[in-house]
Amino acid sequence: MNQNPILSLHPLTKFYFALFITVSVIIVPNYIFAYAWFPVLMIIAAVAKVAKPFISFILKTLMILLVIVFLMQLFFYPGEDVIGSWWIFDLTHEGLMHGLSLTSRILAIGSAFILFFRIVDVKDFVKALEDIGMPPTGAYIVLSTLQIIPEMRRQSNTIMEAQKTRGVETDGSLIVRAKAFFPTLTPLILSSIASTEERAITLESRAFSAPGKKTSLHKLTKRPIDRVLPWVYIGIIIGLIIWRVFL
Amino acid sequence: MTPIIQLDNVSYSYPVSEDWILKNVSLDIKKGSFVSIVGNNGSGKTTLCNILRGFIPHFHKGDLEGAIKLDGTDMSEYQLGQLGEKIGFVFQNPFTQISGVKDTVFEEVAYGLENLGVPVEDIYERVEEVLSLVKIQNLREKNPFELSGGQRQRVALASIIVMDPDILVIDEPSSQLDPIGTEHVFEIIRLMKERGKTIILVEHKMDLVAEYSDELIVLDKGEVLIQGPTRDVLASDVFNKAQIQYPHVTEIALELQKQGVPLNFLPIRDSEITTCFENDRGNK
Repeated sequence: MNQNPILSLHPLTKFYFALFITVSVIIVPNYIFAYAWFPVLMIIAAVAKVAKPFISFILKTLMILLVIVFLMQLFFYPGEDVIGSWWIFDLTHEGLMHGLSLTSRILAIGSAFILFFRIVDVKDFVKALEDIGMPPTGAYIVLSTLQIIPEMRRQSNTIMEAQKTRGVETDGSLIVRAKAFFPTLTPLILSSIASTEERAITLESRAFSAPGKKTSLHKLTKRPIDRVLPWVYIGIIIGLIIWRVFL
Repeated sequence: MTPIIQLDNVSYSYPVSEDWILKNVSLDIKKGSFVSIVGNNGSGKTTLCNILRGFIPHFHKGDLEGAIKLDGTDMSEYQLGQLGEKIGFVFQNPFTQISGVKDTVFEEVAYGLENLGVPVEDIYERVEEVLSLVKIQNLREKNPFELSGGQRQRVALASIIVMDPDILVIDEPSSQLDPIGTEHVFEIIRLMKERGKTIILVEHKMDLVAEYSDELIVLDKGEVLIQGPTRDVLASDVFNKAQIQYPHVTEIALELQKQGVPLNFLPIRDSEITTCFENDRGNK
């Protein structure tokens, strides 16, 4: 079994944690609070030994979004209190504040879920959802999609090779590649649709729709900490709500 | 022996198709027998398999006429889900016969048992047994998507026989296998028959078909030309006219007979080649 204190948590505990961060930054308006989640998430990522891919993923995706959102807010948010100007745009204090609070929330929620998917195996997560009542069909759709994407990539390579032998140019300039798009993509889509039927038959042959309860080789264990942590999250959330409403 | 599957005047055409793929098919399949369906391409073998497995009418729509009975009960009264336990179906294309949700061959083979709700301890035991029976223990940790055609075919077969159905419908199980792999698959099928399963097999390799099966059903253009014990069917004129390959030994024997060599009986298995002429020679 996995000995890592973070990774060995039940997938739902991790999922509730991401939800907990989401709810908390919605309750607490302060952007410093929301930004403060980020270092916390980094520490968790470091403990789970996924800090490097976690940060590089955030830099590649979330960062760009944050910069754009921040600049948009900074320049275009309506406000009175002008604190500077650039070219034909005015920078307002309201814009700055709004930009900070929006980006802080996006960063907190976005990185919480990015981290979630870094530290959870989707298979485990789907199994956990199945355990709490998701229908097996739903579980199948999620899992099969994950497996079928690499399979389709493999198949598209095969089709590409096949089209090459028939004289379709697939390498070269952008226009050549664009031209090759249809003769390679069409068979890929059609064959995928065709194989859906056979896959349905496969599933049926494996008694997918058999009446009665299914069993599973894949077992998730819930340790005491997985029972306690969700209540801790709920407790903190209630505390935050009370603090917001009454103080 | 009582028939486990009975077809009475069954005709079928696929949706949006004008042609009848099967025409007035009537046949009985006895419990515990090994029946092979032979016929040229496009004769309706795969469609017949789909009917036997209940995918027609449960899964494929289209026009179906006539009566199909499984264990004396009309096929339409079963639910598709119930049939999974009763009839195992290994179909032609091994490349799509993967559940698509499992990372290892072991889990893949276990998938059907999970769906049937078999207790986990039993699953381990049964999968283990089938892996060694089909000789794929070495593949157990491999990803099913990364296997070769022949390996997938064995995994597909293993995934079905692990569920221990009473009837096995097997559509060309050896299309991707080398000769040794093919023989081995046939040995497994024979073993299944010895365990009392009813086997319905579609196969083109006539040598093996003749070697193993009790009965033959010859299909031609959607019609049953003849059904009966293997040797009787192979000896009949109807089979001769159907333009289907004979087992090699039968072909040689028939050719020799035509040349005037008297036959003791019509050989259909390799091992019979010595005895089918012997007595005659002794008499001369």
